[in-house]
Amino acid sequence: MLSRSERIALRVQEGVSHGLILLTYYSLEAWLRSRGYRIPDLRRVRREFETEMGPGPGPWLICANHLTLIDSLVIQWAMAPGWRLFLRRDRFAWNLPDRHNISRTWWLRVLGYIGKCVPVLRQGPPEEVRRTLEKAAFLLSGAQTVMIFPEGGRSRVGRVDRDQVTYGAGRLLLDVPGTQVLCVYARGVGQKDYGDYPRRGERFFIRAARLEAQTAMTGMRGARDLATQIVAKLSEMEAEYFEVVDR
Amino acid sequence: MDNTTAFGKVIDIIKPFVKNTAAFGTVGHETRIIEDLGVNSARLVDIILAFEDEFGIQVDDEAADRVRTLGDAVQMIMQKTAPAH
Repeated sequence: MLSRSERIALRVQEGVSHGLILLTYYSLEAWLRSRGYRIPDLRRVRREFETEMGPGPGPWLICANHLTLIDSLVIQWAMAPGWRLFLRRDRFAWNLPDRHNISRTWWLRVLGYIGKCVPVLRQGPPEEVRRTLEKAAFLLSGAQTVMIFPEGGRSRVGRVDRDQVTYGAGRLLLDVPGTQVLCVYARGVGQKDYGDYPRRGERFFIRAARLEAQTAMTGMRGARDLATQIVAKLSEMEAEYFEVVDR
Repeated sequence: MDNTTAFGKVIDIIKPFVKNTAAFGTVGHETRIIEDLGVNSARLVDIILAFEDEFGIQVDDEAADRVRTLGDAVQMIMQKTAPAH
């Protein structure tokens, strides 16, 4: 259970983030574009997100594959334009990045704060991971959107890595009933392996699909079952991607 | 079930998840599952569920969090499988 001060801190962060969202969003979009990154057919991709998520309220748990440090930025860019996120603040997703990555420099820490990041210590003590998940559950219970990478980190094999799946996503679904799941497969077309940043000029393939994840199990078994369904869906989306690419 | 039997079964269950196989040759009760054996923390859930299946016990989240070493695992299993008085 989060303390009152922790809940207030998250609300303050949400407020600050919303106040700066246009500046944050368009600055980051400019940076992404300056590196030559593009999402071909961006309008169609955004329509896909709108169709899958519908106009109703959340909570939404966005579950994506993970290959580079900026996957969440690219996905957020693909989801909606900045003005739309200003109007629908609940659609500007919270992220759970690795604390080591987000605390490298002071400006990354600031960016992480206004970018709605709740750092998590990967491979950290279970109680600390649980604490982060409690924060994510609190945000979901307030109909917010949370983005999570069920593989627990960037895939070292360059593909959706079922062996590395963590069960945090499943636990969140159990802890916050009514949470809807949106699976997102995002990949630079030249991305062969995992890395820090996509190559300059990269074009991104992005697909979104809603998943009706269900389980009759509870506790750790239920969390595992749900997380396994999510990763299976991501694998399926990946297979579709490579089917098109290899054709 | 005695301590040694439980320890042996714990080792058998954890073995497939161990990355640091060199450390696996000198394990003891103090051996830390994540730090020393290189087990991915996400796989601890699989290990705990395997304990539940193997020993017919129920492990809640708090008890699972307390399992840091092989000795912790054995102690938890011994407590949960001990006949009630």
